[in-house]
Amino acid sequence: MFNVLLTEIIKLKNTKMHWLVLLGAIPANLVTWYAFLPRVTPEGTRAGIDLQEMFYRQGMAITILGPFMFALMTSYVVSREYQERTINQLFSYPISRTKILFAKLAAVVVLIVITSFLSCITVTATSVIMSFTKPVEMGVLWTGIRMNMLAGLLAFGTIPVSAALSMVGKNVIPSAVLGAFATIVTLIGEMGHGMRSILFPWAMPYWPVRELAQGLAESGPNPYAVPGMTILAATFIVSLVFCIVYYEKAEIHSGS
Amino acid sequence: MSYILRTSRLTKRYGGKTVVSDVNMTIKPGDIYGFLGQNGAGKTTTLRMIMGLIHPTAGEIELFGTPLHGNKIKAMERVGAIIEYPGFYLNLNAADNLEIHRRLMGMGNRESIDDALTAVGLLDAKHQKVKQYSLGMKQRLGIARALLHHPELLILDEPTNGLDPAGMKEMRQLFRELVRKRGITFLISSHLLSEIEQLSNKIGIIHKGSMLEEIDYESLQKKTRHYLDIRVTDEKKAAFILEQKLGTTDYVVAGSGGLRLYEHLDEPDRVSLLLAEGGVGIREMVLSGDSLEEYFLKLTGGGKFV
Repeated sequence: MFNVLLTEIIKLKNTKMHWLVLLGAIPANLVTWYAFLPRVTPEGTRAGIDLQEMFYRQGMAITILGPFMFALMTSYVVSREYQERTINQLFSYPISRTKILFAKLAAVVVLIVITSFLSCITVTATSVIMSFTKPVEMGVLWTGIRMNMLAGLLAFGTIPVSAALSMVGKNVIPSAVLGAFATIVTLIGEMGHGMRSILFPWAMPYWPVRELAQGLAESGPNPYAVPGMTILAATFIVSLVFCIVYYEKAEIHSGS
Repeated sequence: MSYILRTSRLTKRYGGKTVVSDVNMTIKPGDIYGFLGQNGAGKTTTLRMIMGLIHPTAGEIELFGTPLHGNKIKAMERVGAIIEYPGFYLNLNAADNLEIHRRLMGMGNRESIDDALTAVGLLDAKHQKVKQYSLGMKQRLGIARALLHHPELLILDEPTNGLDPAGMKEMRQLFRELVRKRGITFLISSHLLSEIEQLSNKIGIIHKGSMLEEIDYESLQKKTRHYLDIRVTDEKKAAFILEQKLGTTDYVVAGSGGLRLYEHLDEPDRVSLLLAEGGVGIREMVLSGDSLEEYFLKLTGGGKFV
């Protein structure tokens, strides 16, 4: 399996994938700069840099852009085999098609992890710099790291949907359209800061992000977490099963 | 294992349309099997079924003595193929493309990449991106990839597409060398009669989805030989004269005063003189026989072969 995954990574050499990863990560880094704007506390003293807020803004940016960026990444990894007519060769290898599919999905996981990691650069650098002047609250740091890990994991829940669209459509467009739509819906949901927005599977990664928000009208544990997770799990399982069945049964007629 | 590949009654239908119908194919170890047919005859569909890329509607495929169904993964370790078009990751160079193949075939030896590229004359272009390759270079690279894991059976669909005449000749030499040195069995599909004629020791002719004939090269040569069709008054006496005076035994007595002489085709005057001197009357003497192309045209009902 490792060899198959490695070949998926090799295939990304000299592609525009690194730009896609940066496009996903840079906005998240930029919005965290908001924390550096001069602000005062209600007492009139100058407020310091709030790490939790930085993580919150970073999390919002990545979870809003994620549906679109990750859908594009997935669709490229899956559909290029049809577009570049390499699918004939790929399905002629002595490897099960399901294994090939899993390797592709694993490659997408790697890309999500890299994007999420790069999106944290500013907040991480700020934490390190802050640590020279005052002790960093480890609790906040861990909350931020956990939020990113959980958001990344939840973002993967909808990846098989993009994969399914890409293998049926055999190009990036259907998945990109879905990704754009999901991003718009997620943006609207996150701007409203509502708890219910996580019922939309692509907005589920907002669940751990929202936990970091401060001063919201509705606070506390999200009552929609369980139904949201159930919907996401169902989306994941149904689309993954579809992908496996489609990949295993698909007939390759002309390599494109 | 008597056959490397055997198909029996292989059929593919799409809706009501039968694309491949009851194809029986047998390939023995060391064969260069030419799969000849016009464009759209069903060659690629048959090869796709053999490679497990599409599912047969009916019939069976046996590879290396075991049914393909349920054993595809094991069988594919021993097969190299280019089906229709050698697809590559164009953003990568030749070495990276072959590296992907090496890893997916589970091979340990990285030096085999250079060996395969050397075999097809592409070692110098090893670090060049494949998107800069010509179609001919891609075909060569496809063959290098198909050879990389030392397959026992090489399935090539129109392998000389995009090659110039010199390249086609080189490719034929390479195939013969691979059979001689490595004992690789070939299944080569083509619509080019000349290509199949020059390469194959066994030929399968497919037309409109049906296998019209599967014939070895020697039998085909016999079927397509030219001969003097001689009608005489006494064929036994004529046969005696051909052997004694002309010194040939390469003839057959066709009965009812008929003889087919396969030698001395350019000496009809001498043949008739000898027969006449021996007291055999000649009723008719005609140069007959089909060329290979004529034979195929007859078989396929007049379709065009190049």
